[in-house]
Amino acid sequence: MKKILLTALVLGLTACSMFMPKEAEAVTNINGTVESRCTVNTDTSGYYGNPNAYTLTTLPASAGQVPIVRIDTSLANAYKAQISYPTSFSSSPSLGDTVVWTGAVAVEQTSSTDMSGYQAASTTADGGAMRIYPLSIAGATWFSVSSVATYGGGQQKAFPGGSYTAVVVAECVAQ
Amino acid sequence: MCRSVILWVLLCSSVAAHEMTPTYPKWQTSMVEGIHKTTMEMFNKRKDVKWYEIGVFDEEWKAIPFVTSYKILEVKYLNHVKFDVYITSNNKDKAEYICSLSKLRGNNNNKPMIASKICSRFK
Repeated sequence: MKKILLTALVLGLTACSMFMPKEAEAVTNINGTVESRCTVNTDTSGYYGNPNAYTLTTLPASAGQVPIVRIDTSLANAYKAQISYPTSFSSSPSLGDTVVWTGAVAVEQTSSTDMSGYQAASTTADGGAMRIYPLSIAGATWFSVSSVATYGGGQQKAFPGGSYTAVVVAECVAQ
Repeated sequence: MCRSVILWVLLCSSVAAHEMTPTYPKWQTSMVEGIHKTTMEMFNKRKDVKWYEIGVFDEEWKAIPFVTSYKILEVKYLNHVKFDVYITSNNKDKAEYICSLSKLRGNNNNKPMIASKICSRFK
C-alpha cells in the first residue's frame, strides 16, 4: 500500500512539475573598460592679420584669428599637454632679413573649475616658445596660442608680398 | 544649465581631432627572433589632415630605428587605422615614446596652422 502511495506521489509531483510554468533565467554581462586616451582637437584654426607692412599677427584687433586647441583626457595624470607658438614660417616667400617671433600660450577655458590652476602650474621650454601643462584632472582644456612675427630685426622692413604660414604644435605626451 | 549647454555645444561642434591609443603600449615578441612588436591604433577626425608620421624616441627624444609598413600613414577622415611597429630587442628597452604627428601640406588651400602630436609611453 505504502509503495502504491509513494509511486502515486512521485508521479503526481513529476506531472505537476511538467505543467508548471518554467522561468528561463540568463545572465548577460555588459562589460566596458575606460581606457586612458588623449585627443587633440583643433577647435579654431588661426590666421594672420597684417596691420602694417612689417607685422603679421593673430590678434583679432589686427584682423587675425587666434588658434584654439582643445585637449581632452579621459584619465587624470596620464598625459601632459605641450603647446608651442611658431618660431619660423612653414611656408613663405623668400626672406632676406630677420623675423622676430613673439607669442603666448594660455588656458582659455576648462571643463572643470578644478583645472583653474593649470596656467600657474605650467612651465616653459624651448626658449619660452613651448608651454607644458601637466593634465592632472580628466576633462577638456582649451588653449589659445597667439603669435606675432615682425620683419626686419627691429628695422621695421616690409614683408615681401605673398602667402605666409606658420604652425602651432599641440602635443599630448603620456606621462 | 547654461554652462553645460555651452560646453555640450562646444564639444559637439568639434570636427577636428587626432587620437592615438593605447596610452601605455607594451612590446610583444614577434614571429621573428630578436624582433619585438606593438600594435597602435589611430583615429583621424581632422578633415584638414590625411597623413600622420610615426616616430619612436628614447627618454631624451632621440629617434630610435623602427619598422612600420609606412612611416607616414594615410588615415582618411573619420577612419581608424591599426598599425604594427617593430623594433629590435637591442632597442626595445631604450624606446620610451611612440608618437604620431600630423603632416600639414604646404599647398593645401586651407593652410592649417595647428600640427597635432600624440605620444604614448612605454612603461
